[in-house]
Amino acid sequence: MKFFSGFLLFILSLSLISQEDWAGPAFRDTRIVNGHSVETNQKGQLKFIISHRFGSINGGLEEFYGLDQSNVRLGLDYGIIDRLTVGVGRSSDQKTVDGFIKWKLLEQNTDNTMPINLSLFSSAAIRTLNIDVAQREYPFSSKLFYTYQVLIARKFSDRLSIQLMPTLVHRNFVQTTSVNNDVFAIGGASRFQLTKTISWQVEYYYTLPDQLADIYNNALSMGFDIETKSHVFQLHVSNSQGMIEKFFIGETRGSWDDLNIFFGFNISRDFQLGGRKYK
Amino acid sequence: MHNRKWSVVFLLVFCVLCWGFNKNKSIEYSEETAISVILHELGEPLPKHARPDADEATIKRGFELVHEGRTTGPNGKKSKYISKYFNCTSCHNQVQEDPILNTLNPESRLEYAIEKELKFLPASTFYGIANRESWYNDDYYKKYGELVKPANNSLAEATQLCAKVCSSGRYLEEWELEAILAYYWSIQVRVKDLDLNESEKAQFKNPTNKEESISMLKRKYALKSPATFGEHPSNFRVGYSNLEGNSERGKQLYKLSCMACHQAGGVSDITFDYSPLTFQKFLRQIDKSGNYNLYDIIRHGTYADKGKPRYMPLYPKERLSDQQVEDLRAYMKSAS
Repeated sequence: MKFFSGFLLFILSLSLISQEDWAGPAFRDTRIVNGHSVETNQKGQLKFIISHRFGSINGGLEEFYGLDQSNVRLGLDYGIIDRLTVGVGRSSDQKTVDGFIKWKLLEQNTDNTMPINLSLFSSAAIRTLNIDVAQREYPFSSKLFYTYQVLIARKFSDRLSIQLMPTLVHRNFVQTTSVNNDVFAIGGASRFQLTKTISWQVEYYYTLPDQLADIYNNALSMGFDIETKSHVFQLHVSNSQGMIEKFFIGETRGSWDDLNIFFGFNISRDFQLGGRKYK
Repeated sequence: MHNRKWSVVFLLVFCVLCWGFNKNKSIEYSEETAISVILHELGEPLPKHARPDADEATIKRGFELVHEGRTTGPNGKKSKYISKYFNCTSCHNQVQEDPILNTLNPESRLEYAIEKELKFLPASTFYGIANRESWYNDDYYKKYGELVKPANNSLAEATQLCAKVCSSGRYLEEWELEAILAYYWSIQVRVKDLDLNESEKAQFKNPTNKEESISMLKRKYALKSPATFGEHPSNFRVGYSNLEGNSERGKQLYKLSCMACHQAGGVSDITFDYSPLTFQKFLRQIDKSGNYNLYDIIRHGTYADKGKPRYMPLYPKERLSDQQVEDLRAYMKSAS
């Protein structure tokens, strides 16, 4: 606890020197593929995100390469201030409702006195679908999941940004004692800008060994961002069908080896609900 | 009879003395004196938007409304934003932006902006806007139609038009309008801003002909900001004929003009940077319609619409010349 408080104080003190000459966004959207980027909404900006993940591509023509099935998440993110965003969403997978808060503590400067962007992220998810294990009744607390992340990104150039995401996912309920309630993972992601409006993203979450059952894999996702005025379209493939942390860290069953991967997209539309002071 | 004679003499002497006193009365001023004070001393009536008695708190409210879009109202509560999409300062500077106030030339304005590190914006500065006599001039009728008619002769109406229509916002409440008018009145043109020689100063300090002194003073600064809307060149690939772009000037224009709004965190949600990718996009679009067609976006801007309240205002030719558009293009070509 003392270490955490010291770390937070250190970060806060750094934030005081990173107010001017922002190097610009490291990522074009608040999501990379499944996970969050360091970016936050601007003050008063409401982002409506429609996310789809279709079925497995290896279903072949009979399943129309996965397009016959889909997982959906609808989300609303709102910028309370420029660096603080809150959001809620609902996924069809396990009928899960989630909420999050993301605080951008540090912003990279053009003169590199602050070389990184850093955001703290925390979310909670509630599985509203009943748990169907051993025909027992489970308390509400069994359906809760929590995620804590430190998102650290650097924009190396106008074309290239890289992000690291140390992550902890806590599950209140796990089905066997052989798996942990806490799952530690470290994510890595990058953006490569291909043209003014199109970029290529890769995101990988590595789960530290001996935490999960063998049926689960690390999540590897990649795709394109297409940016237009007020919209970002993200088209990608991933071996995770889930769109929030508790799914893609700890419950990823898909595998790139046998093309058990899923095509998907995110579409976000921005609305300006409140005014703000512009640069 | 004797009394009547003395009365006539007394009246004559009184009139001569009054005339003499009046003739010799000089106008006290300093370099910081607002031009309206001198004009008023010379017999010019104050305009309707004059707020000479405004207190500091009101002026401060006006300042905040202009710079931040909201302020703390007389009721102690934070006011609503005038616009969710723009601040006044998105389009208007707040300081002198032309080196010589009666010569509104975009080329010399750019030099001045570079020297003073000012933004190079599409609308005229608020500095001295209270000293102007008409607003939304000339071709603004083409964009806003009948709406500009009341705004032509009234700074208050012009401000309301700007708040509601041009900034996709709302009409100002009366106290807000009063505060902004008070702020305008506090940033008038001053004696030091005019290019006056000693003889001209003497002309209004000890005026022999007040009307001539008023005219002389008014010739020293612009009474209106002219607005001529330009067109794109007939051949996009060639550009404006006979004009060769200067990439160095274009670089400054890009920084002070385009990036003023299109920087990350700026007023526009289309962000630019200095990456070759950005310039390549512009050059690819040079002969295509759309927001990246340099000529059309500068000369026509875009229009606010339902669902798309944020738009780009156009640059009249007096605010950005055809030569400067070519300068921008030359810079984009060199940096792509």
